[in-house]
Amino acid sequence: MNRNSLRARVTAFYVSMLAVALAVFSFAVYAGVRAYLTNSMKLTLVHTAESIVTDYLVPLNAKGNSWFQNEMSESYPAGISDPFVRVSQDGKVLYESGDIREPLVRVSKLPLPADPEQTKAFRRPNAETGQPLMVYTLAYTPSQGSPILVETGDNMEPLNHLLHSLFLILVIVMPTILVGAAFGGHLLMAGPLRPVVALTEQAERVGRKELGERLPIIRSGDELERLSLALNRMIDRLEEALAHNQRFSADASHELRTPLTIIRGELEALLEIPGLEAQAVEGISSALDESDRMARIVHNLMTISRLDGGGERIEMKPLELTGILKTTLDHMSLLADEKGIEVRCETTAPVWVTGDAMRLKQVIVNLVDNAIKYTAKGGLILVRLQARNEQAVIAVADNGIGISAESLPHVFERFYRTDKARSRESGGTGLGLAIVKAICTAHSGTLSVESAENKGSTFQVQLPLLRLSPREMIELETKAATPPAAEAVEQSPASAANS
Amino acid sequence: MRILVIEDEQKVSALVKRGLTAERYAVDITADGVEGLEYFEAFPYDLVILDLMLPRLPGSEVLQRIRRKNDHVPILILTAKDSVDDKVKLFELGADDYLTKPFAFAELLVRVKALLRRGPVNRSSTLRIGDLELDRLTQQVKRDGKRVELTAKEYSLLEYLMQNPERVLSRNMIIEHVWDQSFDGITNIVDVYVRHLRTKVDEGHAFKMIRTVRGTGYMIRRGMES
Repeated sequence: MNRNSLRARVTAFYVSMLAVALAVFSFAVYAGVRAYLTNSMKLTLVHTAESIVTDYLVPLNAKGNSWFQNEMSESYPAGISDPFVRVSQDGKVLYESGDIREPLVRVSKLPLPADPEQTKAFRRPNAETGQPLMVYTLAYTPSQGSPILVETGDNMEPLNHLLHSLFLILVIVMPTILVGAAFGGHLLMAGPLRPVVALTEQAERVGRKELGERLPIIRSGDELERLSLALNRMIDRLEEALAHNQRFSADASHELRTPLTIIRGELEALLEIPGLEAQAVEGISSALDESDRMARIVHNLMTISRLDGGGERIEMKPLELTGILKTTLDHMSLLADEKGIEVRCETTAPVWVTGDAMRLKQVIVNLVDNAIKYTAKGGLILVRLQARNEQAVIAVADNGIGISAESLPHVFERFYRTDKARSRESGGTGLGLAIVKAICTAHSGTLSVESAENKGSTFQVQLPLLRLSPREMIELETKAATPPAAEAVEQSPASAANS
Repeated sequence: MRILVIEDEQKVSALVKRGLTAERYAVDITADGVEGLEYFEAFPYDLVILDLMLPRLPGSEVLQRIRRKNDHVPILILTAKDSVDDKVKLFELGADDYLTKPFAFAELLVRVKALLRRGPVNRSSTLRIGDLELDRLTQQVKRDGKRVELTAKEYSLLEYLMQNPERVLSRNMIIEHVWDQSFDGITNIVDVYVRHLRTKVDEGHAFKMIRTVRGTGYMIRRGMES
C-alpha cells in the first residue's frame, strides 16, 4: 500500500495520538499503583511499630520482661508474623519474630541499625535470602535506661512482583491496542474513501477518452460531494474551452481558404497576360508558391486540430505494417537516391495493428522525409519495424545533423524549427512532426525521439499491437493477399474519371 | 456547354467564370442556394459547380434537391472542408467530384473537362503525344522509337501527364494521382520525380516536352505541330 495515501496518513496520525495517550495513561497507572502500595506498606509498618511502643513498651517497666515476652510472642508469633518485628536495646535483641517461612525470608541476620539516633526512618536492606525488604525503625526512650529500638519490616517482593506484572500487562496490552486500532481504523477509513477511489478511476477514464463523460456525484453532502461537483464544473469549462478552440481553428482555416483561393486565382490570371516582363513573372510565381505553402499550412493545421480534438474519425481497421512500410519507402526512394542516402529497411515477421492506413503511411512519409532532409549526402537511414512488448515499434534512425539538447523537447511542437533557415528553404510547413505526433496519439500510440548533435536522430513510434487468435490471423492474411476493395474510396474520384 | 456556378464569394465566382469563359464555356453565376435552384430549374445545365457554404440554403441541401430532380448532371463541389468524412458524405449525397479551396484554376479545369466528357473514356492501350509513345499493356515507353527505361513511379507520373496533354497539373493533383494523400507533406517529391523523368524523356531531344509552370505545376506539350 502507498505510504503517502490519505488513508495511511490518517491512520498513522491517530495511531500515534493514541500511542501517546496510552503511554501517559500507563505511566500514571503504574506510578499511582506503586505509590499507593508503597505508602500502605509504610503505614502498616509505622502503625505496628507505634502500637508495640504504646501497648508493650510503655508498660514494660511495670509488668516485667516475662509478660512482655508472652504478649509479644502472642501478638507477633515467630515465623508467621507479617510484618516481622524486632525490639532491641543497646544492640541486644529483646524480642524478634524471626525468619518468615514460606517463602523463607531470613530476617534474623539483618544487622541492627547502625545509628540508633536515626529513628522514625525507613531503610531498604536486602534479606540474606535475597528479598528486598522495607524496615521502619522507631526509638522509644523509657524513663530510665537507654532507648529501645522497635523495628518493623516486610518483604517487598510481592509488591514488586505485582508492579512487575502490571508493567508487563501495560507493555503487552498497549501495542496490541495500537495494532488493533490501526487495523480497524484502516478498515473503517475504506468506507469514506471509497468514493474518492471511484472518483479517481472515473477521472482517469475521462482524461483518456473524451471529455464527454462526467464524474460520479457523491451524494454524501460532505466535502467529497463538493469536490465531485467542482471537478465536474471544471471538466465542463475545459470541454467548452476545447470545443471553442476547435471551432476557432476550423473557422479560421475556413476563413483563410477563401482569400487564398482568390489570391491564387488572381495571380494565375495575371500570369496569363501576354508579354509579361520576366521580373513580373518571377514575382507572381513566387507569390503563387507562397500562397501554395500557406494553403498547406492551413490544411495541416486543420488536420492537427481535427486529430487532437477527435473531430477526425480515424478508421480503425486491421493493418499489416511491413507491407505498408515497404511500399511507402519504395514510393519515395528517389528522394533519398538524389542525396546519395541509403535507406535500409529492417523487418522480420508481419506486424499487425489497427489503424488508418493513410494516416500511418503519413507517419512513415513524414519521418523518413524529415530524416532525408537532415542527413548529409551519402548518409544512412535505418528504418526498423518490430513487435515488442505488445507494441509495434517503428524506428527511423539517421546519422544526420541531429538535434541539440535544448531543441529536443520542442521538436513535436507546432511551427517549431530546429534550424530555421534550413527548413524554410526546403519549403516545409513546420507542422510535419506535429502531425505525426497527433496521428500517433489518435492511434493510442506514442512518438519519442532520441538525438545527439552531429551524430543523428532516432524517431520511434509505438502502436498497440493487434491481438488476435491464430485463426483470425490466418483469415486476415488471406484477405490481405487479395487487393482490398475498400481503398478505392480514399482515392480521388478524378483519378477514376480521368483514367 | 453551359455551366452553373453557385458560389457566394463574388471574387471566387468571377475568377471561375473568367477562366471557364476563356475555355469557351457558357457560365452563369448565382450567389445563394435558393436562387441557384431557380436557375437550375430554368435552364438546362451540363455541369453545376457548387459551393458548400451558401446563404439561405446550405450547399448540401442544394445538392440533394438537384439530385432529386436530376440524377445525371455532373456536380462539382467546392469546399473549404477537407476531412475524409466530409468527402465521403458528399459522395453519398450525390456529388461527382469535389475540389478543396484553395485550388489552382488548372485543377478546376481538368476536373470540369473530366466530368463533361464522362462516359466512354479513352482507355486505349497506347498513349501517343508527338514522338512520345506509352504502351499500357507492356508498360513500355518510347521516344522517337527509342526505348526509355522508367521506374514504376516514373511510369505512373508520365502516364498521368500524358493523359492530360497541354494541361497544367498541380503538384497536389500529381501527388493524389501518382502517390496518395499521405505524401502531401512532402511537395518536393513531385519536383524530384519530374526532374528524373525529364532527364530520361527529354535529354538529347531538341524539344523539351515536360514543362514547369511556375507556381502551379507541370504539363506535357505536344510539340511543334500542335
